[in-house]
Amino acid sequence: MRDYWLSKLFFDLQSSPSLGAEYRAERKKILDRYPLKPEVRKAVERDDVVFLAARVNPYLLRFYFVVAGMPEAEFLKKVRNAGAESAARSSHG
Amino acid sequence: MAKLVGVFASSHAPLIIRGWKDVSAANQQSLTRSMTELGGRIKAAKPDVLIEIAPDHWVNFFINNLPSICVGMGEEHDGPAEPWMKDCPYKKIKGHPKLAHHIVETALERDFEPSMSHHLTLDHGFCIPLWRGGLDPLPPIVPIIFNDLEPPYPTVRRCLQWGTMLAEAVRSYPEDIRVAILATGGLSHSIGEPTMGEIDEPFDRECIRHFEAGDDRKLVDFLNERLPTIGNGAAEIRNWVAAHGAADRRGFELIGYCNCPEVYVGCGFASWNLGARV
Repeated sequence: MRDYWLSKLFFDLQSSPSLGAEYRAERKKILDRYPLKPEVRKAVERDDVVFLAARVNPYLLRFYFVVAGMPEAEFLKKVRNAGAESAARSSHG
Repeated sequence: MAKLVGVFASSHAPLIIRGWKDVSAANQQSLTRSMTELGGRIKAAKPDVLIEIAPDHWVNFFINNLPSICVGMGEEHDGPAEPWMKDCPYKKIKGHPKLAHHIVETALERDFEPSMSHHLTLDHGFCIPLWRGGLDPLPPIVPIIFNDLEPPYPTVRRCLQWGTMLAEAVRSYPEDIRVAILATGGLSHSIGEPTMGEIDEPFDRECIRHFEAGDDRKLVDFLNERLPTIGNGAAEIRNWVAAHGAADRRGFELIGYCNCPEVYVGCGFASWNLGARV
């Protein structure tokens, strides 16, 4: 499943270094430009890698967190846990 | 008539540039040796034009318009846009519209339907092997983008057929020029997935053995069975399969393999010995 506007946000951010810098400074202002579903926006604001991973291409996910400034070790830890967490979340409905 | 004078394949891990200082001395040496050797072989083939097959890492295309295969027809392409590729010497890259047109016409004649672009940006997937292989100046490039990033992908079987058709297109091109093919991507790696960073060396070695053996059915069956079970980056092996088809499935020679966790990629470098066929 692909969430179009989430994918578009990530695509735009990795395509434009100036937008990336603006995003790091004022995340809310950039997010307001995209018609994200409330639960998707919340997941972006919370850096919820598991939720986001199920909705975008994995390369875009990776590029996004580089642009967003998440340290590599933290991203690796979160994305590596994503498989187990995703299974746990779906088994709890 | 044009001649196919070389067929090559290479990995293109971004961290070869972006994280080089963190790569162990032994792996730096291995990668440098392979990339230099590959670049040397491309130069020795003296291509007047290089056809390059690589994926697009969300630079030219997005999910609102995502071709499975796109041929770059432009007179000129842009160099890589990634900020960490800023030191790459290729800012503008000359194309070869006439050969590109001939490839598209041949493709359509053979019942393939590629997309076309008259202006592409050639990202790290195209440029790292050329840059680190020391190709400066570059020959004109006809880029062909295969969608290896967003499923569903072109089938492995179709990629092999693409290679065969590409070699036919080269050999039927009416000008007396030398043409080489370079496919980039793979081998095993995983990006943005729970398995990120995992390299499956046994898979890579088996894949290499299949290229060496040159049995179409076994290669296609192996990849159809195994690609869905390993990291997403291995999808780029489709590009190697197209190169293999262009080389008529013979003469595969591994230049080097480096299981390089620092760049998250099982890095492979190869050429196909065309021998008397050139």
